[in-house]
Amino acid sequence: MAEEFNTESMLDMYLFENTQLLEQLQETVLDQKDADCFDEDSINEIFRTMHTIKGSSGIMMFDNITAVSHKLEDVFYYLRESHPDNVPHVELVEHVLEVEDFISSEMEKIRGGDSPDGDASEIIANLDKFLEKIKNGTAEEGAEPPPENVHTAPTQFYIAPMATSASHFYKIFITFFPETEMANVHAYKAVYALKEIAEDILYSPEDILTDEKSGEAIVKDGFKILLQSQSSEEEVRELIGVGYDIQKVDVFECKAEEFLRGFDFGDADAPLAKIDLESSVEEIEARSTDAKSEETKPAKPAIAPGDFVIQSREPGKQKKLAKDKPKGEKASFISVNVRKMDQLMDLIGELVISESVVLQSSDLKVPGLNLDNFNKAAAQLAKVSTDLQNVIMSMRMVPLANTFQKMNRIVFDVSRKLGKDIEFVMIGEQTEVDKNIIEHISDPLMHLVRNSVDHGIETNEERRESGKTSKGKVTLAARTEAGKVWISVEDNGKGLDRDKIIAKARKQGLLEENKPDSAYTDKEVYQFITLPGFSTNEQVTEYSGRGVGMDVVVQNIQAIGGTLEIESEPGLGSIMTLKIPLTLAIIDGIVMEIGTSSFVMETGAIKEFTRVKESMMIHEPNGDEYVMIRDECFPVLRLGRWYGLEHYEESVEEGVMLILEIDEKKVCLLVDRLVGEQEIVVKPIPSYIKKVKGLSGCTQLGDGSIALILDAAGLIE
Amino acid sequence: MKILLAEDDFATRKFMANFLSKYGECDVTVDGMEAVDAFMMALEDGEPYDLACLDIMMPVMDGYQALVGIRNLEKQRNVPEDKAVKVIMTTALNEERNVKMAFELGCTIYSGKPIDQDRFEQALKKLNLI
Amino acid sequence: MDETSKWRENAEGNDTAASEGYDAQKGKYMTFKSGLEYFGLGIQYVEQIIQFQTITAIPETEDYIKGLINLRGKVIPVVDVRLRFKQPPLEYNDRTCIIVINVRDVTVGLIVEQIAEVVEIKEDNILPPPTIGRGGAHNKYVYGIGRVGDTVKLLLDPDKLLNDEDLSIAEQANEMIFEENER
Repeated sequence: MAEEFNTESMLDMYLFENTQLLEQLQETVLDQKDADCFDEDSINEIFRTMHTIKGSSGIMMFDNITAVSHKLEDVFYYLRESHPDNVPHVELVEHVLEVEDFISSEMEKIRGGDSPDGDASEIIANLDKFLEKIKNGTAEEGAEPPPENVHTAPTQFYIAPMATSASHFYKIFITFFPETEMANVHAYKAVYALKEIAEDILYSPEDILTDEKSGEAIVKDGFKILLQSQSSEEEVRELIGVGYDIQKVDVFECKAEEFLRGFDFGDADAPLAKIDLESSVEEIEARSTDAKSEETKPAKPAIAPGDFVIQSREPGKQKKLAKDKPKGEKASFISVNVRKMDQLMDLIGELVISESVVLQSSDLKVPGLNLDNFNKAAAQLAKVSTDLQNVIMSMRMVPLANTFQKMNRIVFDVSRKLGKDIEFVMIGEQTEVDKNIIEHISDPLMHLVRNSVDHGIETNEERRESGKTSKGKVTLAARTEAGKVWISVEDNGKGLDRDKIIAKARKQGLLEENKPDSAYTDKEVYQFITLPGFSTNEQVTEYSGRGVGMDVVVQNIQAIGGTLEIESEPGLGSIMTLKIPLTLAIIDGIVMEIGTSSFVMETGAIKEFTRVKESMMIHEPNGDEYVMIRDECFPVLRLGRWYGLEHYEESVEEGVMLILEIDEKKVCLLVDRLVGEQEIVVKPIPSYIKKVKGLSGCTQLGDGSIALILDAAGLIE
Repeated sequence: MKILLAEDDFATRKFMANFLSKYGECDVTVDGMEAVDAFMMALEDGEPYDLACLDIMMPVMDGYQALVGIRNLEKQRNVPEDKAVKVIMTTALNEERNVKMAFELGCTIYSGKPIDQDRFEQALKKLNLI
Repeated sequence: MDETSKWRENAEGNDTAASEGYDAQKGKYMTFKSGLEYFGLGIQYVEQIIQFQTITAIPETEDYIKGLINLRGKVIPVVDVRLRFKQPPLEYNDRTCIIVINVRDVTVGLIVEQIAEVVEIKEDNILPPPTIGRGGAHNKYVYGIGRVGDTVKLLLDPDKLLNDEDLSIAEQANEMIFEENER
């Protein structure tokens, strides 16, 4: 959540802090949902959270949030003081989540600039009844009633400014005719007219009334105005009016940040990221692998009364403080345009390539040259470059934990509504992925999780009947492998019904006429469910079954260059795995040539390379080829032939056989020659070009030429 | 209700005076120093202000300094807490630390500009001023 | 760039780098020759013009997508305009150029036979394109005919040029029937 605000306004802080508290609350509650009752620590935590939210909401005068948290605080106060037995736990959990949902949605409204007008009275009434129930249920004869919770009403209030939703910000540029005299006075007229509707107004040049030379400057460079107002563009133009002296008026609506930046421009509309300037490299790296990667905000220099005295204010100028405040104080965090971060990433890629060019320079291949010192220096260069890469990549990485937590809630909600008992397990949620990726996988994951809960996992009775002893379980796991991040959604439900799927596929005409059902592998069959309109559910439920989901999931994943794999065992469950390339991967690759084309493959996928003899080859009548190497038989893929390349080597004896292995599947790839091993920067193939099987990207080699990157997994299939 | 207004910008001053006069008699000052003087004068006359509305960024003395000045005057005269003037800071500054400091120095309401008139009234009601 | 345009450009905010959006740019077209005709592309889409360079082919793509080039570190796909127009390809020679265009954030290089000049064509000199009839697959991409002196330039819609899918089976069938009737 830290990356969502870029000023520390009162409202932002309120939203930020309380949102964090609520998330923490939800985690705690869900953790204990299956227990008999809340433990002491949880009760205290929930009490404190509600107390804090009540307090800060009171100051902000969000009365409904204040009231509802007040009530829940009372409930937990009672629990804390009286320790009643037999509290209906599940009901309590639901109440807490209900309150949490209400407050969250009110805060969403506030965040969006709307007023929090939700009605909490029903929730409060329910809480009242609940509290009565547990009080009565545990009333002992003659026992002293526990102390009443004491609330102190707030005495100080904060009122947020009106500017958030209705104010528009405009950049206005007025050009006067070249012959215009006293353009500064004309400019002042325009400013004066706009003051009527202006919440704030700034203009440049500033000294228009007193400095006569400003007129010349205005005629030459134009007159700029920054305006904050609720009025529309037409109203603004009307007010400026048409004068015989005004040649042109440009009005552009812009954002608040641009307005606040004044006449100093930078890149207008990109979001801002934060960069830590002071911590050492190790600290930054450590922080990004830390379990709690919260941005620690070092203290800004403190403010004191007297800091805000201004020089006598001149209209149109930004209020200048008398005390000399350095602009852009030296905090340890700065806001940086995300576009610049992208540029930085590109440059780091260029650096790696340039490094290759230098190290592979033919100038070095002069025989008899003593390169000891050079090699030492080169090794140092490589080390620094690697460190640089790591820091930069770590700056954009965000752990998946947040996204996974959202799934926790969904599993809980859906399983409750369907009456299924389902456990949720997260593995590897600290795995980090690029910011970009998180945004694209949230929806697909939600869909897959819903599917598992809705269709994968059977109802409690069904499970009992089929003799399954364990509870339904949904596992969300993440790990990185070979430059990709693998995220899987696994359930121990009933698995996919192959027969049903293939029957529907045949009905929809998706299968080849002459190919029998049995000729299709399980994997191929399961992939059918990702086709549009395909759903073998007879009933459409609220959560899934409309058949519009899986194809959209796959599309979203392909948009970020990823793939979806589906595995399933009837009766045991299914595993949906998303494999997504990390945005910028720098990997070790082997460069090879086939014909006139260069290709690269990740070193890790190549188990071995060897020369083979024609006698080791087996040619099937249908065209398939195999090769025997040390008593093992491998299918052979002639890349040149498969891709329709030109001038490639036909003879297996003249070429090189690469043995590829992924997930225990092996294949032999025939290429012309191997060129060498080098570090390569994985660049995506431009999206304009549709995905080609077996290719996962491209890269620039040391000599500037482009090589396509082969994806072993894609080739093995 | 007696109200004291401190605001250095003419246009804003006009608007605020107009807005506040709905609730009571409004005296207008243009900087922090003048505001404290006015407050002192009213105290001496035995007709203290009920509400003081202070801008933060002002010449000579800023809103915070004026607030400190006012609270000190009250302390010196042993004005009891329930009779102390309610201070509203009005400003375009919205950072949390500005608000915190204002509250610590004894401000009652902190209102960002432009002023949300409905909530303003709501707050006045909560403080039993209207 | 002078103050004015810098300020304007910043004020525009969301426009892509190539699209400048103020009056000065409108009405100017980059023209090139392909076959017997001259085509024009709005200059606001043109990022740069470069000499022909080595192309890395990509297997299993449409015939008009020739492959990728390396443009100062950026990898850009290139398209052969003649093949896109379903004309027989010509051999590349030293007059062949690549026009790098950017449409809606997609950058593609167009391999053209011969670059011509930048011309200005006023709105009233632009006529609507001929309807289906005269054949030539390029008609899909032409949105207007611009008159310059006594020559005409076929004005291309770069979005359609890049993104229009090849005719669907039905459309192809229709075209065939049409052609049959013409004969």
